[in-house]
Amino acid sequence: MRTPAIFIEHLHKSYGDLVAVDDLSLEIQRGEFFGLLGPNGAGKTTTINAIVGLVKPTSGHITVLGLDAVRDYRRVHRLVGIAFQELILDGSFLNVREILVYQAGYFGIPPRRARAKADELLERFGLWEKRSARVQELSGGQKRRLVLAKALIHDPEIVILDEPTAGADVEMRLQLWEMLQQLHAQGKTILLTTHYLEEAERLCQRVGILHHGRLVSLGSPEELARERGQAHLEDVFLELIRSEQA
Amino acid sequence: MIGFLTLSKREVVRFLKDAIDTIAPPTISVILFLLIFGVGLGSRLGDVHGVPYIQFMTPGLLLLAIVRNAFLNPAYSLFQSRWYGNIADFLVSPLSAEQIALAVLLGGVARGMIVGALVLAAAWLVTGVSVAQPTWALGYALAVAVAFAGLGCIVGLWTRGWEGVGAIDTFVLDPLVMLGGVFYSLDMVRGVPIIEPLSALNPFTYITEGFRAAMLGGAEAHVLIGLVLTLALGTICIGAALVLFRVGYHLKA
Repeated sequence: MRTPAIFIEHLHKSYGDLVAVDDLSLEIQRGEFFGLLGPNGAGKTTTINAIVGLVKPTSGHITVLGLDAVRDYRRVHRLVGIAFQELILDGSFLNVREILVYQAGYFGIPPRRARAKADELLERFGLWEKRSARVQELSGGQKRRLVLAKALIHDPEIVILDEPTAGADVEMRLQLWEMLQQLHAQGKTILLTTHYLEEAERLCQRVGILHHGRLVSLGSPEELARERGQAHLEDVFLELIRSEQA
Repeated sequence: MIGFLTLSKREVVRFLKDAIDTIAPPTISVILFLLIFGVGLGSRLGDVHGVPYIQFMTPGLLLLAIVRNAFLNPAYSLFQSRWYGNIADFLVSPLSAEQIALAVLLGGVARGMIVGALVLAAAWLVTGVSVAQPTWALGYALAVAVAFAGLGCIVGLWTRGWEGVGAIDTFVLDPLVMLGGVFYSLDMVRGVPIIEPLSALNPFTYITEGFRAAMLGGAEAHVLIGLVLTLALGTICIGAALVLFRVGYHLKA
């Protein structure tokens, strides 16, 4: 049996009395396009931050392609690229191209290759014209694409995207969907969190629905809809959340 | 190694690109100290310990510049990266906690030494001061820069707001340095209430006296005592900074 891309076992994270993730167990296979759904505060961001070591689990454990996410964090980080929900960019003194070149450097890519890789991604994400611009000069959509390019700079096997289309207009959302589908077609494993159920239905092979930190449903969008006798994932989602709240 | 070098370069480029705000002000303020206290008031004081007052105060001012800049760079860089969230760029990379700590520390050492070199050049132009024991003085300056860059790392991780760095600068570093023999030696304040006991208790007094002895030529014992104190302070600060980075203090939830 192939080692899963991401294996989460009994993950629990609490902040004092607040339980952010409650006994979450989940397996994401290699090459899978997986969506983590849930209302605000469901534990989606905490979960993905735990995978990349920004959140220390209270208990439970996570492996990435068989490597322990805590003990082997440096090797895990080589395998994972993450695009955060907040448009985090080191733009106080670096321009767009420099942001990518430095990020490549942090991943151990030599300067010449780092510059070539940065230029390739700038072209691919339609940012070439903005290569010398400051982050403050970019539109929201351009910042979003730069964040995604930064996550891909070291050519990771697993790409984690936290609400990648939040705040995007329709055209940009379609562009981003196309980019994500291309990445998946290249064989990348993709873990996506989103509020947009249409997005999950369209892109994801399987989805997990989190509520109050617990996994309340898991399967392909079609399976979940069929099991619940609904037409769309959105109806399944609303039914689940309402039944949990009742 | 490439990752570590890249982050070290970032820490240096960060202040060099903004030299008007990072390098120029401390250099100019020390030159003003030299002109006002050294050339102006100092000319009425005559020789102190066998050298003109302006030359006597130069090592202290040089140390002041190194201390403050070595401290401020990592403190502000770390807090800025935490504040804007881009600290995550390093934390999700394959860089180890120790590599991140060391790269940030090196940025502080670089800024401290660059400002120190500019102040020394200015002092040489104004006072004609020369360095009696260049190897000792350079090693000493480096040890001081490393120690206070370590303190800057701790403060950059500890503070929860911009004012935290300023508060440490104003309420800890300023009194430590001002009452640490930058403008006087312990002999000069014998019998002066408050100043003498505070200066005698202040470890920075012995660090300044040691550096002054290394720079102007003086008792070897002074150099060694000051150097031992500096190395002890550096070991404590770097050790504490490494522990904080390893546990992810204010870096990981």
